[in-house]
Amino acid sequence: MGKPMLEVRNLKTKYVTRFHEDVYAVDGVSFTIEEGKSLGIAGESGCGKSTLALSMMGYYFPPLHYMSGDIIIDGKNISGMDPDTVRKTILGSEIAYIPQAAMNALNPTQKIIKFVTDVMRAHDPKKDKNEIREMAEARFSELGLPKETLQKHAVELSGGMKQRTVIAVSTILNPKVLIADEPSSALDVTSQKMVIKMMRELMEKGYIKSMLFITHELPLLYNVTDDIMVMYAGQIVEKGTAKEMVFDPVHPYSHGLMGSILVPEEGTRGQKLGAIPGAPPNLKKPPDGCRFAERCKYACADCRYTSIPEKPFGEGRMYRCLKSVEELKEVYENE
Amino acid sequence: MKGYRKYFGKKILWFIITLIVAVILNFLLPRLMPVNPVASITGKLAGQGATDAAAVQRIYEHYLHEFGLDQPIYVQFGLFVKNALQGNFGISFSQYPRPVSDIISSAIVWTVALQLPAIIVGWILGNVLGALAAYIKKGFDKVLLPVSLFLSNVPAFGMAVVMLVIFGVNLKIAPIAGGYAFDMIPHLSWDFVKSVISHYQLPFWSIVLVSIGGQAVGMRSMSIYELNADYVKYARFLGIKDSKIVGYVFRNAMLPQVTGLALSIGTMIGGALVAEIIFSYPGLGSTMYSAVTAADYPLISATTLIITIMVLIATFVLDIIYGLIDPRVKAAQYE
Amino acid sequence: MLNTIKQVFHSPKFVVGFAIFVAILLTMIIYPLFCPGNPLEQIGVGTFAAPGTYVSLYDATKSPTETLRLPDAADNRIEASLSKEDRVEMVEWFGAMGISVEGLDIEDTDAMVDLWNANYDPSVRPAGMTSAKINYYKRLDNSIKELNASDTVIIADYDEEGNLVTTKTIADTDYVNTKEIANVKTLPLGTDNFGRDVLKELVSATGTSIKIGLIAGIVATVIGLTLGLLAGYLGGITDDIIMFVTNIFTVIPSFVLLILITYSLGQEQRGAAVVAIVIGFTSWTWTARSVRSQVISLRNRDHVNLSKLSGHSLVRIVLLDILPYIASYVVMAFILQVSSGILAEAQLSLLGLGPKTTQVPTLGLMMNWAMLYSAHTNGSWWAYFPVILVITLISFSLNLMNTGLDQVFNPTLRD
Repeated sequence: MGKPMLEVRNLKTKYVTRFHEDVYAVDGVSFTIEEGKSLGIAGESGCGKSTLALSMMGYYFPPLHYMSGDIIIDGKNISGMDPDTVRKTILGSEIAYIPQAAMNALNPTQKIIKFVTDVMRAHDPKKDKNEIREMAEARFSELGLPKETLQKHAVELSGGMKQRTVIAVSTILNPKVLIADEPSSALDVTSQKMVIKMMRELMEKGYIKSMLFITHELPLLYNVTDDIMVMYAGQIVEKGTAKEMVFDPVHPYSHGLMGSILVPEEGTRGQKLGAIPGAPPNLKKPPDGCRFAERCKYACADCRYTSIPEKPFGEGRMYRCLKSVEELKEVYENE
Repeated sequence: MKGYRKYFGKKILWFIITLIVAVILNFLLPRLMPVNPVASITGKLAGQGATDAAAVQRIYEHYLHEFGLDQPIYVQFGLFVKNALQGNFGISFSQYPRPVSDIISSAIVWTVALQLPAIIVGWILGNVLGALAAYIKKGFDKVLLPVSLFLSNVPAFGMAVVMLVIFGVNLKIAPIAGGYAFDMIPHLSWDFVKSVISHYQLPFWSIVLVSIGGQAVGMRSMSIYELNADYVKYARFLGIKDSKIVGYVFRNAMLPQVTGLALSIGTMIGGALVAEIIFSYPGLGSTMYSAVTAADYPLISATTLIITIMVLIATFVLDIIYGLIDPRVKAAQYE
Repeated sequence: MLNTIKQVFHSPKFVVGFAIFVAILLTMIIYPLFCPGNPLEQIGVGTFAAPGTYVSLYDATKSPTETLRLPDAADNRIEASLSKEDRVEMVEWFGAMGISVEGLDIEDTDAMVDLWNANYDPSVRPAGMTSAKINYYKRLDNSIKELNASDTVIIADYDEEGNLVTTKTIADTDYVNTKEIANVKTLPLGTDNFGRDVLKELVSATGTSIKIGLIAGIVATVIGLTLGLLAGYLGGITDDIIMFVTNIFTVIPSFVLLILITYSLGQEQRGAAVVAIVIGFTSWTWTARSVRSQVISLRNRDHVNLSKLSGHSLVRIVLLDILPYIASYVVMAFILQVSSGILAEAQLSLLGLGPKTTQVPTLGLMMNWAMLYSAHTNGSWWAYFPVILVITLISFSLNLMNTGLDQVFNPTLRD
């Protein structure tokens, strides 16, 4: 067991819509990432995985609101902190974020070096300009990005370059946790590979201590991360190692997702999660019972009304279903 | 640098082309009309009591020759351009024997000194208010937006009349007509400068007030659009202060407003010139008015040409400024 | 379609704008039904009669009277005839005579008159006062005394021998019911410099100006739409040429072109419709640009390609596969053009290049007349202020409708 870098305990956050309705987008999520490890989160769009990424930053602005739970980064609980302290001491330096649409993540009219300076000075207002420039240049060259990139505006960079620049800038303060929300999904295959390589390098060189990787491309997760969680309707429905999750999914939802990709090889790259008929429940009024029951082939009447806790099994694995692991496996065997 | 050179080259070429077309139109439009200018002048003279048919005929021939209307159209155009280049626009009918160029050159100073600062101040104030409305939103936005919308729809001459009546006629804060006290002769003295400044107030503020509204409305929606941009979220998650991010947003929202100004300056100048008439301000607007009332053809022709050239120069300068300050322009040239 | 319209009417901005515009249109239609007549008829001989109800003095003297003893009638009479200048002069006289005016309210007619009656003595000549001033005070005293004394007005007429004979005595307690008077005229907005009923003129002018705006808008939209469709759909050299022309006319100020064309047309040719068409001809560039960019984004959509493959004609593709998708933009551009057309007419008229009309007024011409006769400096607000307000309201309502539509069709701007 390594040292836990990120520990999330029963985190609940919600969106408040324009019409003052609450949408419970993250509803009691718990997990731990140890030092040197990476965790992937998979799920359909709208399952709350991107919201989970935002919620873990401990820095909330409307329409997202914190409700309850703990976020502990390297032993420090940030969930009760005042936003300005979080901003100065946590964001960027302890936990960093790579947004979904990195294409537009950089201010188009600003030179990259100017932005890097702003980021560094947000945490250390007196830092010398030349020092910052030297540091940034060194880091950029180390990650295989030309130094000249720093003197350019975001609009002058290609898509792949923008994404790699975003990753380099996000990790420039050596954060303990990196949260990457679909960092490569909008890129072509070559750029995708470079991005993945870059993230691995960051881990190997110790610039980041742990990583949370969100994507809807399952083979990518299998190749990149150590563990995988599957999220559905604001909750984690199953957790395990990448291998276990791909070859031996237990929860009917994970099973359905993995169904289409038995062998995660090069040929299946880019394949989307398996299509399951139906739509996720309305998170304004989450159902009492199993949230997946409406779409589950194997659901019984009880499933709809019994609230189901996270059930541990195997070696550190967890799933959330009324049926036992054996029962489920038997059903899958017989199909 | 190549991007910039291409951009400037394009803009200069456009400036020259539009200038040529504007000169051609200025020359051609009056000549395409069913009644030629000389006939309308002599018609007017006859109407004013010059009953001697032979005399009218002599005047007709005199002007016909002066305008070169008895020559083929291309020769006329050559003459027109040659005279215009030499600053020779003929002799004014209504202020005989004052040359048109003399009238125009004294009016142009007043117009530039009034319109240029008024439009710039209106632009700046409008952008600041629009940005505030977008940022503060609640309440402030609710009051400011309808007011700005309403203000931007008051015609420039209407604003001029209302200002004149309230501040000039009723409150007697400022003089209501002219560019300086009517009993003064323009010269450099403290009294004259004081008089000019006090006469400047009403026309200046009425043009400013009118332009504020439109700019504020445009800036507000640009800012709202930018505030929701991805780079805002990303910068926040890297720990950058909100005040700094707001700086990014307003810069980005304001840059397109420069082009917006370039495109609307032609429309604005029409209203602003009419506002001059209301205040009998000794600029090009009033010159145009007296020229129209006196059917002073050479004066009208020269005034319209000068106004067009001024607008073209203003647009050109704004385009160049925009190209220098917005890196997005440079990037667009590579596409 | 129905759904879109429903959505549009859910936008508060659109609804407010629409309501204002419809209210203006309804006034324009309904008012003439109740008050018919030529809006340019000169009913007044003088210029700028103030708004109010005018009672025929001639008819009033012939109408049956009632005697009313109203307690404050005399005070009201004095109050109405003592002008502000008179009051200031009275205070000046008190000052010259060394009478304390402390605590005296210049608006308090009773106190002023009491103090005057108690102290004024026509035989006193305050030092340094001109005789003209002294005579003025005598006249003032007389009129105050006259007003105070209960008196009558005598109406006399010549009899057959040419002698004046009293035909009627009017006491200060005689009243006439306005319903009994044969001629009572209410002029809510007074008369203009030519003695015309401003309200009637304004209603008619609003109608003409909206028509000018509509014609200008239609002309501009037709030109802009045609050029935009051609440039966007055909692309290539057609696009280059059209955009070249469009770019030129975007930069050359349309106001200047308007002046040149209208001036060259000459006074005789300049009817309201001609001015409207000229305005339309100088303001199509925005429509052309926005239509073109919309068409370019549409032209490679699947349904258009399908239509092309099915061998449909150009006209059919444009009418059925493209126009419906850009209709909202065209409507928005049209609305803006109507409002800028109305403004353009007003500005031209102020320059003296407005429509030549002897039958109908326009908002711009009304403004022009008011300015020519210095309504703004002589306090005749009713001659210009309602005009400015109407232009502003029309333009405000049209712009609100446009913003409302924009928010419905471009949701990124929604807040």
